[in-house]
Amino acid sequence: MNDQPDATTALDVYGTGLAERLGGRAVVEHDTVRIYIDRSDWVETLRRARDEEGLAFFSWLAGIDWSKDVEVGDTVEDLDDLEERFEVMCRLSSIENADGAQFIAELPKDDPVIDSITSLFGGAEWHEREAHDMFGIEFAGNPNLTPIYLPEGFIGHPLLKSYPLLAREVKPWPGAVDVEDMPEEES
Amino acid sequence: MSTDYEALMHRSEVAVSVELQTQDMTLNIGPQHPSTHGVLRLVANVDGERITGVEPAIGYMHRGYEKLAEVRTYAQMTALVNRIDWVSGFASEVPFIVGVEKLTGIEPPPRAQWIRLILTELFRISSHIVFTSSYPLELGGVTPLFHALRERERVLEIIEAMTGGRFHPNFNRVGGIKPAAGGGKTQKQVSMDIPEGWLEDVKAAMERVLQATDDSDTLVTGNELIKQRTVGVGCIPADKAIEYGLSGPNLRASGVAYDLRKHEFHLPYDQVEFDVISGQDGDCYDRYWVRLQEIRESVKIVLQAIDKIPAGPLRAKAPRVLKVPKGQVYVRGENPKGEFGYYIISEGGQKPYRLKIRSTSFSNLSILPWVLKGALVPDLVAIMGSLDFVLGDVDR
Amino acid sequence: MITGWFWVDVIIKVVLVLAVMIVLALVAIYAELKVMAHMQNRIGPYYAGGRWGWAQPFADALKFIQKEDLVPAGADSVIFKSAPYVVVSATVATFVVIPFSPSLVARNLDLGVYFLLAISSLTTLGVLMAGWSSANKYSLMGGLRAGAQLIAYELPLVLTVVAVVVQAGTMSLVGIVEAQAAPIEIGGLSISLPFLLKGQIVGFLIFVVAAVAELSRIPFDMPIAESELTMGYLTEYSSLRFTMFFLGEYAAMISMSAIAATLFLGGYWMPFVPDSALTFVGPMILIAKIAILVFFMLWIRSTWPRLREDQLQDLAWRWLIPISLANILVIAFFKVVVF
Repeated sequence: MNDQPDATTALDVYGTGLAERLGGRAVVEHDTVRIYIDRSDWVETLRRARDEEGLAFFSWLAGIDWSKDVEVGDTVEDLDDLEERFEVMCRLSSIENADGAQFIAELPKDDPVIDSITSLFGGAEWHEREAHDMFGIEFAGNPNLTPIYLPEGFIGHPLLKSYPLLAREVKPWPGAVDVEDMPEEES
Repeated sequence: MSTDYEALMHRSEVAVSVELQTQDMTLNIGPQHPSTHGVLRLVANVDGERITGVEPAIGYMHRGYEKLAEVRTYAQMTALVNRIDWVSGFASEVPFIVGVEKLTGIEPPPRAQWIRLILTELFRISSHIVFTSSYPLELGGVTPLFHALRERERVLEIIEAMTGGRFHPNFNRVGGIKPAAGGGKTQKQVSMDIPEGWLEDVKAAMERVLQATDDSDTLVTGNELIKQRTVGVGCIPADKAIEYGLSGPNLRASGVAYDLRKHEFHLPYDQVEFDVISGQDGDCYDRYWVRLQEIRESVKIVLQAIDKIPAGPLRAKAPRVLKVPKGQVYVRGENPKGEFGYYIISEGGQKPYRLKIRSTSFSNLSILPWVLKGALVPDLVAIMGSLDFVLGDVDR
Repeated sequence: MITGWFWVDVIIKVVLVLAVMIVLALVAIYAELKVMAHMQNRIGPYYAGGRWGWAQPFADALKFIQKEDLVPAGADSVIFKSAPYVVVSATVATFVVIPFSPSLVARNLDLGVYFLLAISSLTTLGVLMAGWSSANKYSLMGGLRAGAQLIAYELPLVLTVVAVVVQAGTMSLVGIVEAQAAPIEIGGLSISLPFLLKGQIVGFLIFVVAAVAELSRIPFDMPIAESELTMGYLTEYSSLRFTMFFLGEYAAMISMSAIAATLFLGGYWMPFVPDSALTFVGPMILIAKIAILVFFMLWIRSTWPRLREDQLQDLAWRWLIPISLANILVIAFFKVVVF
């Protein structure tokens, strides 16, 4: 569980190998393999991951909003380091063993369009609808890109960092409140 | 898999000899309905009794967990994540807390890991009992519910004796589990460990659960009417199941023997022996049968684990104000319903930057429009029930 | 003739028939609550009326009656309002010919069996009226399912009864009981057997299955199908109209059991009971037989799930009807050639 930064584990080897074969950049940390690919190669790379690498199980697809325009929660220590972008992350995993990888494509904020993978995985339809609802990311080729969670007439995309949380506007966060003693404080 | 899935898919093919030119009726099933497991709305196009198309409308229970996670500390979030899939509370907490532990590098002691395993299996038993008793209810058999839920009370009682809560234990802490009794600034800690006599209570409860499972087996599994209603109904072939992200007993019923407990070892599943139960055709009967057998496997695991709990502390030292270093991690666990995972992105604060919840029932439900095409209305109820989803999980 | 005047007699008989029907229906409701409860490992009604909860059916009836009477806006109100009356009057009419003892029968028609079957099929009409006029898609589906099911299961019902009539030689219900009471010679001994034991076992089983289907009870309760259609054709009914359907269903259960008891089990007659005692003991014997059959129906209700509509039709058309036709042939053969 504790990997030191210099040791190469089996997962490191797997991750770098996968990135080489599929054409992308691998980052392996905390037992998780992330492969960064270009959005123009999105469908093709995932198809090859499914057919050639054995990652046929479509687990999920989500969007991530990297933004400096943070309305709620001080969750970032150093905002200046952050680049503004959207990321679309898809996790595929294997049905025979514990292999799996997150495939990440970056989208610029002014052009959040990416190809849909519903032609490869039928289950992606609902996940893409959710990402569209929550972030406003367009999935070109999704047969049914209608709101899935939000009611009709809802304005805005809730999971964007710039979307205000009404409860926090009314009452600011009270801070962390602990009730229990920590183990080192037992007498 | 050499079975002919097209032939199996709807054995209820009823030949209509006179084709009347009539319009399809749009039937709104839900959001309030005796059989949808919560507030789910299905807009069904129905031609007599045959469904020509179904469009599920979800989101009635969307509580905004992912947005909420951005304004809660990790400790506060632990209290909330067991409410996503409320039938298997503890099993949803474990992957989250393991993710935080991986990011911070705090390792839980082995005693805590074993107790987490036992509690996860107890919740799995509880969730599967709920399924096996309420599934015949959807088909019209009203009695198995009462007999099975009595025994589930024993399981919930022992969970409550240990954690203080029946459904939402909120028992995990970063670095281990909560000390069992007492605690807090106002009350002196009475015992730092599992309650006295708890292990014997667990053994007795497991006996009752096995008895209830045998009763359900006799009453339901061999029943000719149940078989007529569920065998060959709603067949999901293995490749479709993999494509749609079906997991857990739904996937295993389709013949894919993939159980995350054999591959993910943040809980010591490699030190207990159990079988992976899988079905053959992927019809409703197989999904029911797999869950029934999994109760027995879980009982086996619990009885082995009771003898294997090592001595030691229940919790590793963790800082009072937890600041998680920058990093991203994905941890998944075998929920009773399937693969349940958390993708935590931390940018170094007290709260997550982004928490993506891979909820099982969302993926399990996404196959519904595909599997319901051409089914009869009574089959809709049978198929929906057999997928065993919970709306809190679907809508998050 | 109880009194000399015809119309007074008629009124007394009507009141008695209604009283018997309602009392037996309430007892059946209570029995269902208690029997199902004990089979499900619980107690059932406990507080209403003392320790055994015997006043629960009265409490339920009063509760239903005092509810608001709703008629849906788009419903066809004439048909909607008259549907319960059709069902209930058909059920009440069946009690007119059931003999509780040789003299305790409201009207011993010579065409008793024919009258019974004809009148009890009017309930189908009432159900279809209810389903169609409710202006509710679920009610419509329930009503259509009911129509198909009730028509399909009329046939085995009628055919098995025809076999009994062939064996008894008369259509009057009192006559059928007396045909069972008449002794037959077997090896020097003269004993009397109910028709069940005189070769009608297949007929009896088919009759019971068809009767449960006619009553729309589990395993044949697709028209109501609580877990799918909310309440099927009963969805939009409330208050007094629902009470009438509700009581009517249990009254029909009693009436079907009474018919089965009379036709196959010997009715108010039992061996070793002298004819003179039948006037007093007869009703008790018949009620005991009804109780056994009703218990059997409740037992099935708590144990089995329901059949799907096409499986139900399959059972009726491909199995029950051919077998009951064959039953008639066999019985007729034995009646003509052997006896």
